[in-house]
Amino acid sequence: MSGNIRGLPPVTFRRLYQQPATALAIFRRMLPNLAKTFVTTLLYNESPVALGDLEALVRPESYREREDAFGKLRRLHIITENHLDVSLDPVFKKNFRLAGDHHSFGVPCNTEDKKKITVQFLDDYATRQFEAILHYMVGTHNEVKPSEGVITLLTKGGLMERYGAGSQATITKHGFSFLLQDGNPQIWALLIQYLEMAEELGMEQTDVLHFLLMLGSLELGQAYSVNTLTETQKLMLADLRDYGIVYQRKTSSDRFYPTRLATTLTSESGGLRSASASMSNAITKDAEEGKGFIILETNYRVYAYTDSPLQIAVLNLFVKLSTRYPNLVSGRISRRSIQEAIKMGITADQVIDYLSAHAHPQMRKSLVTLPPTVVDQIRLWQIEGERMKTTTGFLFKDFHSTQEFEEVAKYAEELGVLKWKKPSRRCMFVTRHEQIADWLKRRASAQQQLQKKVAA
Amino acid sequence: MPPKRKAGAAGETAAVATTSASTKRSRPATPAVDVDSSDEYSDDEEIENTEEGRAISKAVNAFSLELATKSNVVAKRDSVSHIFNKQDFSYLEMKSDHESRPLWINPESGVIVLESFSPLAGQAQDFLTTIAEPLSRPTYLHEYKLTPHSLYAAVSVGLDPNDIISVMDRLSKIPVPPKIVDFIKKCTSSYGKVKLVLKENRYFVESSDPTMLQRLLQDPVIGPLRVQGEGGSGITKEKAPQMGALVIPGTRNAAGAANVNNPQGGRPVEVAGDAGEDLFNSVTGLGEDEEGEDEEDEDAVHSFEIPAGDVETVQKQCLDLGYPVLEEYDFRNDRKNANLDMDLKPQAQIRSYQEKSLSKMFGNGRAKSGIIVLPCGAGKTLVGITAACTIKKSVVVLATSSMSVVQWRQEFIKWTNINPDSIAIFTSENKEKFRGDAGIIVSTYSMVTNSRNRSHDSQKMMDFLQSREWGLLILDEVHVVPAQIFRKVVHSIATHSKLGLTATLLREDDKITDLNFLIGPKLYEANWMELAEQGHIAKVQCAEVWCPMTPEFYSEYLREPDARKKVLHYIMNPRKFQATQFLIDYHEKRGDKIIVFSDNVYALKAYALKLKKAFIYGDTPQQERLRILENFQLNDQVNTIFLSKIGDTSLDLPEATCLIQISSHYGSRRQEAQRLGRILRAKRRNDEGFNAFFYSLVSKDTAEMYYSSKRQAFLVDQGYAFKVITHLQGIERLPGLAYSTIAERKELLAEVMLQNSEAGQQEGDDFDGAKLSYNAGRKGARYRRTTGKLSELAGGDDMAYIEYNRSRNKELKGKGQSSAFFKKMHRENEKRRKEQNSLKQ
Repeated sequence: MSGNIRGLPPVTFRRLYQQPATALAIFRRMLPNLAKTFVTTLLYNESPVALGDLEALVRPESYREREDAFGKLRRLHIITENHLDVSLDPVFKKNFRLAGDHHSFGVPCNTEDKKKITVQFLDDYATRQFEAILHYMVGTHNEVKPSEGVITLLTKGGLMERYGAGSQATITKHGFSFLLQDGNPQIWALLIQYLEMAEELGMEQTDVLHFLLMLGSLELGQAYSVNTLTETQKLMLADLRDYGIVYQRKTSSDRFYPTRLATTLTSESGGLRSASASMSNAITKDAEEGKGFIILETNYRVYAYTDSPLQIAVLNLFVKLSTRYPNLVSGRISRRSIQEAIKMGITADQVIDYLSAHAHPQMRKSLVTLPPTVVDQIRLWQIEGERMKTTTGFLFKDFHSTQEFEEVAKYAEELGVLKWKKPSRRCMFVTRHEQIADWLKRRASAQQQLQKKVAA
Repeated sequence: MPPKRKAGAAGETAAVATTSASTKRSRPATPAVDVDSSDEYSDDEEIENTEEGRAISKAVNAFSLELATKSNVVAKRDSVSHIFNKQDFSYLEMKSDHESRPLWINPESGVIVLESFSPLAGQAQDFLTTIAEPLSRPTYLHEYKLTPHSLYAAVSVGLDPNDIISVMDRLSKIPVPPKIVDFIKKCTSSYGKVKLVLKENRYFVESSDPTMLQRLLQDPVIGPLRVQGEGGSGITKEKAPQMGALVIPGTRNAAGAANVNNPQGGRPVEVAGDAGEDLFNSVTGLGEDEEGEDEEDEDAVHSFEIPAGDVETVQKQCLDLGYPVLEEYDFRNDRKNANLDMDLKPQAQIRSYQEKSLSKMFGNGRAKSGIIVLPCGAGKTLVGITAACTIKKSVVVLATSSMSVVQWRQEFIKWTNINPDSIAIFTSENKEKFRGDAGIIVSTYSMVTNSRNRSHDSQKMMDFLQSREWGLLILDEVHVVPAQIFRKVVHSIATHSKLGLTATLLREDDKITDLNFLIGPKLYEANWMELAEQGHIAKVQCAEVWCPMTPEFYSEYLREPDARKKVLHYIMNPRKFQATQFLIDYHEKRGDKIIVFSDNVYALKAYALKLKKAFIYGDTPQQERLRILENFQLNDQVNTIFLSKIGDTSLDLPEATCLIQISSHYGSRRQEAQRLGRILRAKRRNDEGFNAFFYSLVSKDTAEMYYSSKRQAFLVDQGYAFKVITHLQGIERLPGLAYSTIAERKELLAEVMLQNSEAGQQEGDDFDGAKLSYNAGRKGARYRRTTGKLSELAGGDDMAYIEYNRSRNKELKGKGQSSAFFKKMHRENEKRRKEQNSLKQ
C-alpha cells in the first residue's frame, strides 16, 4: 500500500490530505514512530521549526532512524522545508487537526436498524466472505462461490489465471504466495489490486483511497450512513461487500456496517495475523495464543491443531495429509509433496515461513522453532529441481574457416562473454554480441582493404 | 509399491477382521509388527488402486456406515473432507475437557496419537507401550497402533480388556470409538485361553476351559496331531498351578528382600510387586486382588499332548483360529528341574527401564516367553542375565557369533556370583559341559542348527542339549536370524520359556513376523530418545553427507547395464572417498575413535588400503580380528578401523565415538539402527556436551539416495534427525586429498570398471544358510575373468612398483609379537640400509 501511495504525484497528495480520515490513516499506517513524534511536535506549532531542533530530539547514534523518518515524511509530502526550517504541509496540518469529529470518518446512523446487527454476525459474515475467496483460490469447492467481480479482480491481479473464456480459473504462483501470507497483508493486496482496477474503470482514485483509509478508522458494530458517500464510493460499497470488508443488507439499504476486516485495516498491530480463517480464534482468544497451530516433527510428520477447512486446504498444498480428527489433522511432508508444491509455484522459503509463522506454542519453547534438518531438507528438495541454469545469449555459427572461428572464440573469451564453444562444428554461444559483431566488421573491412592493397 | 500395499492391507485387515464376525477365517493379521510408518517413506502411495485395497476399503466403508447409523452420527462432510478420504473423523465428538487428555484414537486403523507434552503423557506412554506398537516417537506427538499382537502382549502381561478400555477412555480426548472397543474385546477375549506347557520334555496344550480344547481337537489341523495318551479321550485334568508374587533380583525391592532372607539360606522370599508394577497398576487401575481371584476360580486345567515337532504348526493354527497360545513357565513350582545357584552380585543395580521390561516378563509370578526390545548399548545382556537369575534354572544362551559368546560368558561372571564351572561354552573351538545338575550353556545359532558335518564332540554336545529340559532360552539379537533357524532351535531345545533380545525388531523381508509365535509377544520396547536424555545411551548427531558424483563416474554409472556393477560406481565415487578421508582426518584430530562401515568388501579393502587403516571382514581370521580390535581399543595410534557387515551386531566397542558409513545394505532400516548402536554405548557418553557422530555417505543422484531415506525411516521415527551436509567445509584444503586430479580419478575408474560384477555384491550374510562358519569364502570371488592388457599384469601400467597399498593389518600383527631376536635383526637391517643410502649420496 505504502509503495502505491508513495508513487503518486504531489498534487494527489494534496487532494488526499483534504480528507482528515486519510491524513490520520496515513499517519497511523505509514509512518514510523519517530516520524509520528515529529508530526505531533510540528502539529500545533504555527511557525516553522528549525531542522536542527528536531534533530536534537534524536540521539546521535540513532541517526539512521532519524534520516529514515525524515525521508518518509518528505516522500509523502507531509513536511515542507524552507532552508533549514521545517513545517507541516498546510493541507495536511489543517485536516489532521480536524481528524476527530469530521464526517470523513463516516456519518453514523443514529436511527435504530430494523434488525439488530451484532458484532458476532459481522465477524461471521466477514469470515465467510473472505474465506470464500481464499477457498476459491485453493480450489476447494465451498458452498459460497465468490462473485464475478471478485474473480475478475483475482485474474486481473495475476493471482489466478483463466485459460479461455468460461473455463475454470486456476491459481498462479503469485496466488500461492498470496495464500501463504497473513490475513492483513492479504486484504491489502486485494485492495491495492482493486485500486489499480478502479483507475481502469474510470473511478476517481483519490475517492477510492479516501474511502479505504476511512474504513480503517470506523467503529466495529456501528452502522454508517450511505448518503454522505460519493457516487464512486457507493459503487465501491458493492465490491467491498463481496470481500467481506463491509456489510450491507441490501444494495438499496441506506446504511452499511464495517466489519473487523475493515476496522483493522490501518491499525498498527495488523489485527488479523493468521489467515483470516483463524479469525474466530483471534477474536475469542488472545491473538498470540490462537496464533500457532502447526507442529512439525523431525520425522517429517506435520500435525495441525485446526478444524478450519481453509487452513487444511492451505496445508494440503504442500503436506500429504492423511488423517483428520475433530481438532487435529496429521500428515507428512515428503519429497513428493514439496515438489508438487514447487511445481505449482510455491517456494521452499514460503513453506518454511508459513510453518514457522504458525508454529505451535510448544515448538516455540525450543531454541529453534522448526527442526533444522527438516528445514534444510525442504530447501534441498527445491534445489534438486534447480540444476539447470539458463543464460540468454547469442549463437554464432557458419564461420568460414577454423582460423576465423578460433580467432573469434579467443576474442570472445578475452571479453569474458564466451559461454560455450564447439570447434568441431564451428559454433559458439556468447552472452553479448555487439562487441563481437563490431570486431568482426572491423576485421572484415581491414581484410578487404588488405585485399585491395594486395590487388593494387 | 508392493510393500506399502501389503502393510496397509495387513493393518486394515486386522481391523476389518474383527468387525466381520461372520467371516469364517477371521485371521488376526500376522503380526504386523511394524505397521507401518516406514512404508510411507516411499513416494508411491496408492492403496486404492489395487484390487485388494478396494476390497478392504469397501469392507471398511460398509462398516463405518453401519457405525454411523448405529450411533446416529452423520459424518460432517465439508469442502476438505475429500483430502482425507476415509480418514476424516471430524464427526467425532470431543470431550468437553479434551485439552487435559492426551490421546486421539483413530477409529478405523487403531492408530493412537499421543501429545507428549501433556502432563499425563508419562503414564499414557507406559500404558501405550504395553497395549500398542510404537510407530513413531519424536519430540511432540507420538504415534502408536493397536494390533492384535500388541493386545495379545498386553493380555499376556496380565491386563484385562475392560481395564484397557477404561484407561483408554480416561486418557482419550474423544470417547473410545465402539469399533475400537469391539476390536479390543475381540482380540483379547480369545487370548490367554490356551497355554502351551512343557512338562517332562513333553508338550501339552492346556486350558481351563475343556470346551476350548474340544474345539481345538475338532480342528482339521490340530486334531490329528494329538498324541494319544493312556486315557481314551486324550484330555487330562489336573490341578491348576497356584501363583504368588515374585521378586526380580537387582531391583531395589529385591535388595531389601535379599538382605532379610538370605541369612536363612533360601531364595529371597517373595515381596509383592515392585515400583514399576505399582506405577503401572495405578495407571491401569488394575488390582492385584482381582488377578488373584481369577486365578482361584480356575482350580483345574485340562490338557492334551502334542508332539514336539508339531508345536509350531499347532501354535500357528491356534493363532489363525484366533486363540494365540500363551507360553508360561511356573518356575518356582518346578520341582523336577534342578535349581541353579546364581544371584546378581550386590553391586549390580538394574536401571528403571530394565526393571520395567523384566516386570512385564515376570508380571504374574511366572515367566512368560517374549521379546524385549532395547536400543543397542542399553544393557540387553544384563536384562538377560537378570531374567536367568530370577528363574534360577538351567539356561541356554544363543548368540550370533563366537565373539559374542565369549562376551556373554564374561558378563555372566561379571554380574553374578555363579560358579564359573557352571557356565560352559559350546562353539567350534570349545565343547564342554557344565558340572552339576544345572548350569548355563552359551552357544551360537549356527552351532545348534548346523546339522551337517558335525564332529563327534559337537554331536555329543547336541545330544546333551536335546536330552534335557531347560528353564530359559535366551536368544540374543533375534532379528538377525531368519525364522528357519529359529524353528530348528526351538524344536531341538526343550525349554520352558524363551526370551528374545534385540534392538530393532525389523526385517525388510517378512521373516520377522514369525517371531511372534516362535518366541512370544513383544513384552517391552524402550524409547530411544528418552534413554538418551537420561544418559543411558549416548546422544548422537546424525548426518547424511551428499557426495556429488564426478562426471566420469556418473556417465559410467548411467551407462553400466549390470545393476551390481552400478553399485560399485557409486560406492567408489572419488568424492565419497575424499569425504571419508576428510571426516576421518577431522575426527581423528578431535580425538575420536572411528569405525567405518562398508558392506561392499571390494570397497572396504580399497578404502582401507588407500587410507592405510586396519580392516576386518568376513575372511579375516579370528586371531587377526581380535588383535585389530584390541589395538583399536587400547592403542592410541590406531583410531580408525574399517568393518564390513560382520561388525553390525554384537560388537562391543565402547571406545568408538564416530561412525562413517560408506556402503550399506540397500534400504535396510535394521542395519542402520544396528550400526548406530555401535556408538550408543560410548564410554564418554556422560561427559558434558558429549556427542557421538554418525555419518552416512551417499552419492548424489544415484540409487543410494533413495535407499538412504528408506534406511533412516526407523531412526527418524525414534526421534533422530539426520542433517544433510552438501559440502564439507575445508575439504579442498585437506593436505594429501586423494583423487584430486582427473588423472587419478580416471585411473580409479578404470580399476573399478575392470572389476567383475561379483565385486559389487555385498558380503554374504553370516546367516544365509550354507555359509555359517566364519571363514566361509565368498562364492566365486576367488577366480575371475577380466579383460585387460598383459602389461597390466606385470605392473607395466604403473610408473614404478611401490607398495602404497600395504595393508595396515599386517603392521598391527607384528606389534608386541616379534621376539627380541627378530627385532634386533630388523634394527640392523635398517642401520645397514641407512648406511648404504648415505654412501650413495
